[in-house]
Amino acid sequence: MGGYAAGYCGRLFVQAGCDVVRVETGERPPAWVSDAAMDIYLHAGKRRIRTDDPKLIAELAARADVVVAEGHTADAVEALGFDAWDAPVRAAITPFGRTGPKRNWQASTNVLLAMGGYTYIMGDPDRAPLTLPGHYPEFQSGAFAYAAANACRLAGESEVIDIGMLEVVMALSQFTTVMWHCDGAIRERHGSDFYHVVPTNLFRCADGWAHINIVPGFWDPFAAFLDLPELVLDERFGTNELRRRNRHALHAIIDAAVAPMTRAEIRRRAEDCRIPVGVVQSLDDVLADPHLAVRGFWQSVHGGESAPVRSPRRAWRSDGQTPPDRDLALLETPAAEGRDG
Amino acid sequence: MADGPLRGVRILDLTHVWAGPLGTRILADLGADVIKIEAPTSRGPREGARFNFSGWIGGEPGDEPWNRVAVFVKLQRNKRSVAIDLKTDAGRETFLELVAVADVVIENFSAEAMPALGLGYDALSRANPSIIYMAMPGYGKDGPYRDWVAFGPTVEAMSGLSHVLGYGPEEPRNTAMALMDPIAAVNAAGAIVTALREREATGRGGFLEMSLHESGVVFCGPWLVEHQLGGSVERIGNRHPAMAPHGVYPSRGEDAWVAIACRDDRDWRGLCSLIGAGLDPSASLAERRMGCEAIDAKISAWTAARTREEGAVALQAGGVPAGPVNVTPDMTADPQVRERGFFVPLEPGPTPVPGNPIKMAGIGSGDWTPCPRLGADNAAILRDWLDYDDERIAEMEREGVLADKPPA
Repeated sequence: MGGYAAGYCGRLFVQAGCDVVRVETGERPPAWVSDAAMDIYLHAGKRRIRTDDPKLIAELAARADVVVAEGHTADAVEALGFDAWDAPVRAAITPFGRTGPKRNWQASTNVLLAMGGYTYIMGDPDRAPLTLPGHYPEFQSGAFAYAAANACRLAGESEVIDIGMLEVVMALSQFTTVMWHCDGAIRERHGSDFYHVVPTNLFRCADGWAHINIVPGFWDPFAAFLDLPELVLDERFGTNELRRRNRHALHAIIDAAVAPMTRAEIRRRAEDCRIPVGVVQSLDDVLADPHLAVRGFWQSVHGGESAPVRSPRRAWRSDGQTPPDRDLALLETPAAEGRDG
Repeated sequence: MADGPLRGVRILDLTHVWAGPLGTRILADLGADVIKIEAPTSRGPREGARFNFSGWIGGEPGDEPWNRVAVFVKLQRNKRSVAIDLKTDAGRETFLELVAVADVVIENFSAEAMPALGLGYDALSRANPSIIYMAMPGYGKDGPYRDWVAFGPTVEAMSGLSHVLGYGPEEPRNTAMALMDPIAAVNAAGAIVTALREREATGRGGFLEMSLHESGVVFCGPWLVEHQLGGSVERIGNRHPAMAPHGVYPSRGEDAWVAIACRDDRDWRGLCSLIGAGLDPSASLAERRMGCEAIDAKISAWTAARTREEGAVALQAGGVPAGPVNVTPDMTADPQVRERGFFVPLEPGPTPVPGNPIKMAGIGSGDWTPCPRLGADNAAILRDWLDYDDERIAEMEREGVLADKPPA
């Protein structure tokens, strides 16, 4: 119950074959997509009920193996009756955790990303930092709650789990924190340029954009990819350190070489030269991606009168088999009226 | 090693870079006995480091620089290390013996690397039919892209995220931080505990596959569903389709910013009450979106006169979500984070490292162990798990099958 972190956690339990009951309480926080899309993505395959009745919620909790409750503050979770619930594993997900002086601070996704150190390093150096769109703190927190709850069930332990989304974001810092503590450096933002390994950046091509990520072992085949074998002998670019120093000159060379190529040609060349390159795919491209189709990545979600919609299955597969085309249903959310429903 | 609900679970960790080691760090924090199976060269050469863009643990490379690369060390707490050369027959034989008494093997090499060593799932499951094997290849073990070379940033472009990330419709952006890696990492931890529970019920192990690419597409799922429903999905910078105002605003100081969001009319009224400036507290969401540039200008004038902390605290007092755009020293100094003991001064220096965001009784950082030295646990693991005697271990060391430092 609660927002998108709990919803994502429940989605993972559905994908594992569990009987998940989604309890809708109160208003939902604003999302990056419509309520209908969020419901299809998060709540397909769940049984759903709407109630604000603490007694009914407590009764449901008493019959559950795991309860995951998300609140917009620590007090909001307590107001649901969390501490009195009698489930073996109870997970509370809140923006800042259940304790501490900011436990009742108000949060949104962009606030958590900002405080957690992600925002400062994203975007262009001469512009405002760029907020990551979507629901990263929420979904990652839901995934942490899922792992923790399953670990407790595996051990047969009864536990109360407290997950603060700010700490989730901070726990997932790449090297921002050690860079400061060990090197005394603040990690800066450099647009799409990773900066420390060159070239690692987005480049415009004839029909879109391509991301090229050349760690030193790929430098020679990258020169072949560009059809510029002379780069291998160019003293300006002989090592990653030299490429860092001469990044602007190198980027200009790559810009010129890549500009006339189509994304398809870039992919073909990258495959031939065995270098790490991805092309920027639109949402239509992703939905039509032949690789995802062959791997049975999509699940059909049926709901109401509308045509089935494809939604991603979980991020992992078991036993190397394409998962069965298990359709999921998005069920209606009846208000709880009586005890027999 | 940490105590926790996964105590007694033995994991052989062959992962490298970010996604894999982060996933196994989560499992180690939950109490699993994670053994890093490392090549003697895995941490770089004896002198210096292959890559080091975040400094040395303790500030200096010291006598063993390979053990002090900060970006590596921060992912390895609560693990043990066996440095073994899997390119030798003896190394592979010992590894398969370890597999026979382990619960989980996890690797994130390219799709063909482990089979090429004769250590694919088939070989490992013969050694231990109940083993859980997780592979984390860039694009999966099959399908048209299976042989594509992948890193987090290139996969990000393919996932759809770059399509929605950017300041506006003109140009996409990449996160420049390999965002697919932490997404795959957290899901990998979930996948493994799921498989452990399934094994408990069925007695069967299994092969798990976590594609970095598909992890990213899962994250983009809401946009992909919205697109099919006919909804509009656009690159809108720091604005939000369902909140206004919503953004990152300048604060007093150099490159200082504060993030603000109005989730609903109540937040908006709180913001108007604080800032004034002629803002209309009765403006609807649609009106606020329509007039967002003028509203943002007024908010910016207010925030620019305050530090990011002052602005955030004042807005929070009015019930409005706001927070400073933090850099590391701000993060470690945050009173919320300090009171909850989130950063742990575990590594030499002392170097604080981000802690475990899973808080529950019985797990804490008091029993944590720092990143092991390369090969620090060679003898202990082979003795305890496999009953190897000292002579056999010494012979493996002499032959270079086991190592505790990179080759000269």
